[in-house]
Amino acid sequence: MNNEMVKRQIRELCQAPGPERKEEFFRQLKAQGLLHRRPRTISQGEFVVGQIPYIEKRIWVLSVLLLLFITEVCRLRPGNYPFAMTPFLAAGILVQTGRSFRWKMAEMEYAARFSLRSVMLARLFIVGAFNTLGLMIVILLVRPCFSYSLLRVFLYMMVPYLTAAWLGSVYERKQRADHGWGSVLICLLSSAVFAAAPVFLAWLYEERWTVLWAAAMILMVGGLSGSVRNWISRMEEPAWS
Amino acid sequence: MELTADRLTKQYKNKIAVDRMSFTLTEGVTGLLGSNGAGKTTLMRLLCGILVPTSGTVTCDGMDVSSEEYRDILGYLPQEFGYYPEFTGRDFLLYMAAVKGLPRSDALRKTEELIELVGLGPAARKKVRTYSGGMKQRLGIAQALLGDPQVLIMDEPTAGLDPQERIRFRELIAGLGKNRIVLLSTHIVSDLEHIADRLMIMKEGRLIWQGEWHAGEGDLESFYISKIQSQVEI
Repeated sequence: MNNEMVKRQIRELCQAPGPERKEEFFRQLKAQGLLHRRPRTISQGEFVVGQIPYIEKRIWVLSVLLLLFITEVCRLRPGNYPFAMTPFLAAGILVQTGRSFRWKMAEMEYAARFSLRSVMLARLFIVGAFNTLGLMIVILLVRPCFSYSLLRVFLYMMVPYLTAAWLGSVYERKQRADHGWGSVLICLLSSAVFAAAPVFLAWLYEERWTVLWAAAMILMVGGLSGSVRNWISRMEEPAWS
Repeated sequence: MELTADRLTKQYKNKIAVDRMSFTLTEGVTGLLGSNGAGKTTLMRLLCGILVPTSGTVTCDGMDVSSEEYRDILGYLPQEFGYYPEFTGRDFLLYMAAVKGLPRSDALRKTEELIELVGLGPAARKKVRTYSGGMKQRLGIAQALLGDPQVLIMDEPTAGLDPQERIRFRELIAGLGKNRIVLLSTHIVSDLEHIADRLMIMKEGRLIWQGEWHAGEGDLESFYISKIQSQVEI
């Protein structure tokens, strides 16, 4: 008996049985999350925190300097002009949101697990939360410098800031590849309008118009939310189509 | 694992970029050939879930390509990509690892491994803006490999690589294709000749030929040209 014959006979005698209940086995593995098991990935919270170092340093510097400047101007000259400076705070947020498109990173980010939507929302949240929190602290600090109530100082600070953020978000949605100058210009114009407004509308900062300011704030928050939602939900088509 | 496109169509205002394409990709290297403007990039974006199809579906083992679950197993190299100006090569990979959801310790380990794999060790801490075209492309390849993707889609990956780098890249891809789905698009036929197990040829948005290709079956370039000229529709 030669070697080949022995091999063939062993193969015939020791033939492995065909797979039984294979489908059920794979179903069970899948149900237990063991099929195509992937390495551990970070949570949404860890992702947002992990994005903080990737916000440009100049954005933090600009925000801090602006907040300090607004505080100082309020303390030294507590007129209505300091309120017109808050739109510049929105510039930092707006410049961050278009960054992926400007630097051609959007396509790679879109195909990653957290996707471009999460990247943009994380940046909006981080810079927006920092600025808003900073502004709240400034409002509390400068409130004694004004004869207005805390609510009125809050509204006078927030409405120009949100107006610029809303108009800028509409612009950024349409002009993604622009290097952010359009947004800066919108912030500048918003600031100029709010600075000039008391000259033409002397009644604007009167107490009886507080309701108007509150309505404007609600409108701006609604407009900004709608614009961001629209931006995020229809992200891919205008970018690559 | 299977990546399946079923009657996939993408229509722009006055152009059909991808026209009713149906195919199934399995483990191995698939080469996507076609001249410029054939619709390769649009098809790849559809397969990555970046573009929404006008009609038809793309699924991977039943997962929709727009799902996070799918993006978790996807590695994608776009035809054109940029980088944030302050990034070094290492920063770029660490950033992409964060967007891909890798924990910091895994990201650090994987980044070092990939930097070595694509031969960017000495330049890893230099700004990406100082890199040559080939170095940037190698960096792009490295980011696509982050997170050990099971589906790897690369659009013109050899663009900008010098002949030595091309050979190295082919060897790398041949190894990767053993246990994952790899789709490469190119209009340079020789890039695929020795590594593609399967070929798809596109012309004017349509899939005009798909099938297995074995090295040694003849001249791929002549075969490709004959298919493009004959335009035999499947």
